[in-house]
Amino acid sequence: MKGFVVFAIGMLLATSAGAAEPVYVGAEVCGECHDSLQRDQLAAWYRTPHARAHATLALPEAAEIARISGIEENPFESPICLGCHATASDAEAWQLDPTFHIADGVQCERCHGPGSEYMAAEVMLDPEAAREAGLRKPDRRLCMVCHKVKFSHTSVIEVKPFDYDEAMKKIAHPGFGGEQREAAGRSRPGDDPHVVGVMVCASCHAGESMGYVASKWRLTRHAEAYATLGTEGARSIAAAEGVDGDPRTSRTCLECHSTGDGPSLTRGVQCESCHGPGSDHIEQAAAGNPMASHAVGLGYPTRAECERCHQPGIHGSEFEYQSYLSRVDHSRADMAAARAAAVEYKTPFNLAVSPDGQRLYVACEASDALAVVDTASREVVDEIEVGNLPHGVCLSPDGGRAYVSNRGDDTVTVVDLEELEVVDTIAVGDEPHGVITDATATTLYVANAGSADISVVDLQQRREVKRLSAGRGAWGVSRSPDGASVFVTNNLSHFVPFRTPSRSEVTVVGTESSVIADRVMVPEANLIQGVDVAPGGDFALVTLIRTKNLVPMTRVLQGWVMTNGIGVLWGDGRVDQLLLDEPDNYFADPTDVAITPDGRLAFVSGGGVDQVAVVDIERMRSILENASDDDRRDLLPNHLGVSTEFVERRIEVGRNPRGLAVSPDGRYVYVAEALDDSVAVIDVIQRRKTATIDLGGPEEITLARKGEDIFHSAEVTYGRQFSCHSCHPDGGIDNITYDIEPDGIGVNPVDNRTLRGILDTAPFKWTGKNATISRQCGPRLAVFFTRIDPFTPDQVVALESYIRTIPRNPNRYRVGNELTPAQRRGKALFERSTTNSGEPIPVEGRCSGCHPAPYFTNREMVSVGTASELDTQDVFDIPHLNNIYESAPYLHDGRAETLEEIWTRFNPYDEHGVTNDMTKDQLNDLIEYLKTL
Amino acid sequence: MTSSSTSRRCSAIPALVFAILVLATWTVAAQVTEKPAAAGEPYVYTHWETFYAEEDGLPNDHIFALTADGDRLWVGTEDGLALYEDKTWRSWREKDGLPWRVVSAIAVSEKTGDVWVGLLGGGLARFSGGRFDHFNQFNSGLVNDVVYGVAVLDDTVWVATTAGMSALNTVTGEWEIYTEKNAPMEEIWCYNVDAGDGKVYAAVWGGGILEWDVETRRWNAHRDPDREMEIDLYRDDGLIHIITTSASYVDEVLWASTYFGLSRYDGRHWRGWMDHDSGLASNFINIAKGRSGTSCYSATDYGVAVLSDFATDTWVSYRRETEDAETWTAYIGTGNEERRTVVTDLSLPNHFVIALEFQGDDLWIGTGHGLARGVGKGFFEGLSKAEASPREEEGQ
Repeated sequence: MKGFVVFAIGMLLATSAGAAEPVYVGAEVCGECHDSLQRDQLAAWYRTPHARAHATLALPEAAEIARISGIEENPFESPICLGCHATASDAEAWQLDPTFHIADGVQCERCHGPGSEYMAAEVMLDPEAAREAGLRKPDRRLCMVCHKVKFSHTSVIEVKPFDYDEAMKKIAHPGFGGEQREAAGRSRPGDDPHVVGVMVCASCHAGESMGYVASKWRLTRHAEAYATLGTEGARSIAAAEGVDGDPRTSRTCLECHSTGDGPSLTRGVQCESCHGPGSDHIEQAAAGNPMASHAVGLGYPTRAECERCHQPGIHGSEFEYQSYLSRVDHSRADMAAARAAAVEYKTPFNLAVSPDGQRLYVACEASDALAVVDTASREVVDEIEVGNLPHGVCLSPDGGRAYVSNRGDDTVTVVDLEELEVVDTIAVGDEPHGVITDATATTLYVANAGSADISVVDLQQRREVKRLSAGRGAWGVSRSPDGASVFVTNNLSHFVPFRTPSRSEVTVVGTESSVIADRVMVPEANLIQGVDVAPGGDFALVTLIRTKNLVPMTRVLQGWVMTNGIGVLWGDGRVDQLLLDEPDNYFADPTDVAITPDGRLAFVSGGGVDQVAVVDIERMRSILENASDDDRRDLLPNHLGVSTEFVERRIEVGRNPRGLAVSPDGRYVYVAEALDDSVAVIDVIQRRKTATIDLGGPEEITLARKGEDIFHSAEVTYGRQFSCHSCHPDGGIDNITYDIEPDGIGVNPVDNRTLRGILDTAPFKWTGKNATISRQCGPRLAVFFTRIDPFTPDQVVALESYIRTIPRNPNRYRVGNELTPAQRRGKALFERSTTNSGEPIPVEGRCSGCHPAPYFTNREMVSVGTASELDTQDVFDIPHLNNIYESAPYLHDGRAETLEEIWTRFNPYDEHGVTNDMTKDQLNDLIEYLKTL
Repeated sequence: MTSSSTSRRCSAIPALVFAILVLATWTVAAQVTEKPAAAGEPYVYTHWETFYAEEDGLPNDHIFALTADGDRLWVGTEDGLALYEDKTWRSWREKDGLPWRVVSAIAVSEKTGDVWVGLLGGGLARFSGGRFDHFNQFNSGLVNDVVYGVAVLDDTVWVATTAGMSALNTVTGEWEIYTEKNAPMEEIWCYNVDAGDGKVYAAVWGGGILEWDVETRRWNAHRDPDREMEIDLYRDDGLIHIITTSASYVDEVLWASTYFGLSRYDGRHWRGWMDHDSGLASNFINIAKGRSGTSCYSATDYGVAVLSDFATDTWVSYRRETEDAETWTAYIGTGNEERRTVVTDLSLPNHFVIALEFQGDDLWIGTGHGLARGVGKGFFEGLSKAEASPREEEGQ
């Protein structure tokens, strides 16, 4: 009732001061008027799965659904899960009245809109006024946002096909007129002022540490005991037992169907029915003193107490105490155990060797740890927990510190290698990958793939002092022998128009003043990841892929999809490229490169072929020096027959080799075998793998892990030319627009799309032709992409199992639910229903009309006026917008390099939302909001 | 606009006349002798080097912007960006990747070394490691492509445009726009911007000087209190005129140029100068740049006016004595009282000065026809120290 009064006052103020921002008041407040025989909406809702939607997130199945959806956080904290299992999950704190409880799941205001402005009786009695004040009626479009088939759910639980009309009947809650609850003069059981209500208990007893007790209670029939009284059956029982009228007003009924009195009456049999009035022990409980709580009244129910209501034969049912007790058992399994039981691999990515060669430090992405290996015994001697998704690792020149980049939480962990403990965590840019210090260990350089820049960290202050612009997808790093320069590779090409060759950058930082010294452009190449500078400092080697996207992807057999090689960046600015491929025996996904201290050999890991190539530097140099300028520019970068002249051999290693490190004496090369959870030891003299260092990964190989192996392997491609990873590094994008055969040769160019967190965003492809990931990756893939035998059904299942678990990065632009002023204004524009001049915008013309939360797609096909003369259809899949900032370029053919261009250049007729009335500052606000999704 | 029309006139000078001018310049230069300044006198730039387009390496001699970066000088012209370093010119035109031909403003980030280039009609460019990144009103949050001024403060690039101010946070990528909707802008035509000490100063053509406090995120407006267009009704009551063209913040002093004179604000007191009461040869100031809290250089449509010493109101004004004079003359005086003149060897044919910059002891000026460097050999701040100035003697 207090909430009602507050908002009645608020409404008066709002009326006098102009239109107020609506806020959510919660179902309890709605129930003030909608909980009577005539208006039976509250109890009717309370009995539906909608009301239990939030609580179901505590179930073990929720953890499994989240896991296979690539959702790493607790479902109770996931915007994706909460987007359909709660109301106002994306609202800011100021938009939630104290009477609002997110634990009430999908409640009244999820369908009818925030209630503060229409809740007053005089407004509600005037339908037009209520509508004006924001009351809305849900429609099929709104319901289908959450009720479309989700493969994440159907894979784990039984979900009946959603029939909109039937569903509306099930949740129907008609009713109008009659007296309000207070006016009915119902009797009150106990009227005990000491009862605080379940929501007070739940304020502490909700989370994982408390075993999700509140959620478990909500899933019991106790919680619906009051709501049950609103049913026809309850009225029949009541009538048979001599209770007239609405059982909800009967003291006799309420004695066993509710707890105490007050606002939480409607929540049925709550905690305090079993544990005693909370006001007696709440202070002691909150202080974490169970003994004291017991001393002042916290109790546990006895059988006799249960039987006070559960009398044998009451209402025609028997009471089986143990059976009933198990149903309300607070310690029954929940998602915490399911989350903890997930198989955790190591997935070593990069490594570093101590200056004395005795220790090897391995960044293990899947276990969020830095493994410490004794190189003599070749055993793991310690594992140090670092941040989320550790990727790169480097050591200070004296070997005293390790710096580990954590691409999942945008930090660098500083590890004291003497004490083997974390001593600091430094915030850097988005998705940090490569890390390296300067020669004096005063500055750390961090390549941030997500924000396309380089963090410059002062190691004395242990903080980022500036950010340098890199290319796109800053990835690997290497320091020149004289310490004057740091080379930073970039995974993605600069933006280029369709049918224009890629242009990728290697950024050179001058360490003296930490500014950009040069940007070496590598033409017709992308996926530049590994880099190492020769001991003489006269050149650097980088790994690269030459993607042939200028022609339709039909020439795999001729080597015209992708070739793989190295770039040679000479000190005079010249850039050469050489392929590591051989005809029909490609070297897919060259990932890292390491040059031996004597400068004679370079080792290159081939992530897609499970091999390490050994490059003879002198022979490589000779080939280049003896070639004409024309040949160096045009012939050698594409020549499949040259590698046999300078690649001594390929050494077989474990699955998915990634980072490389050479021992200081040049005797060994260590190779991170990412999908074997091990490190290969290559004897440089023998040119072969002589040992494997087991990092202690689990024996069990899950289906998803098998799929991860398939994803990263080029075995599925003719000649082992490329892998899924070649186009989707880290599950993301390669920034390239392709002409793919199934849509017709020479037509329908399509921008590559991310695989992060896509499971429930079907259909797939811009044309929406693939209803499932398995169809996307099934036989058609072999026909049009890989040109060898298609995946077996088992392989397809495994591949899908992996792809759907590829996690989406945490959103960098939104911390908690609070928005910046610009983001807040942008959200209003995203949801607006009228133009700046007051003209109504139809639902299909609103951003939120086609891009509703939580995935910000309604998964439909629509025309937004972007079809070009190359397109054979004008409707395209509505893309999800989660982390949209990391997947430029935009639109189906990648024509928009920035979010701004979608509307400034490619929406001239308001077909892609009504936007042309927006001022420039409004568009900026809209984009700031989009980046938070 | 005025500058371009002047430039067009100058560019029509016949080659023969030009050659004669160059020859005469050398002759005069040979005649100028550098003498030590007398006690209490201001420094005078007597020896100048001049630079024109094709013959000297500039991409174009319509100079719009000058920015020193240590020993390097960045020059914005009507057709390209130029860099002067180690007595050598390099330049970038559109064919070299410059996104737009007209460079109207340049700022160098102290932190990153990146060069931010304002493009008149083309938006903004970042020049970093040889790469141009283009930001315009279509592909970014920049409010308008007609850019007049650029300044960098910490991680934020401030851009003065014809439709308001834009601010780009280079770390987050967020753009902010300030117009009449969210700033005290009576007009939105922002002509220039300067930044320092946590403050950003925007010169708004018709809107005075707007001061942005980075910490409080609030604007403070400095306007002409008397609101008179043609006269300064109450002397030193505030900004001298609301049609401002530049702001320059140095040593906690704000210098503001207008088309009706120069203003100085020390945070408490305003001081204004017009041509009738100072060494300003013209009230039409394209840009003013403070060299210190007590000295300011004004680029006018009639040469360069230097307030050499605020305390003594000592001025040095550089201009050609007559339209057909072969070299420029320095007029030295107190207030509007001219004491003496010094002939310099500066031979630029156009004294519509649009840009100026300090580089060490040297002074660079950019005009509608060529660029010149005043060689600051023996340069000193204020007045020569051999004798105290009269005001100092009076204890003022």
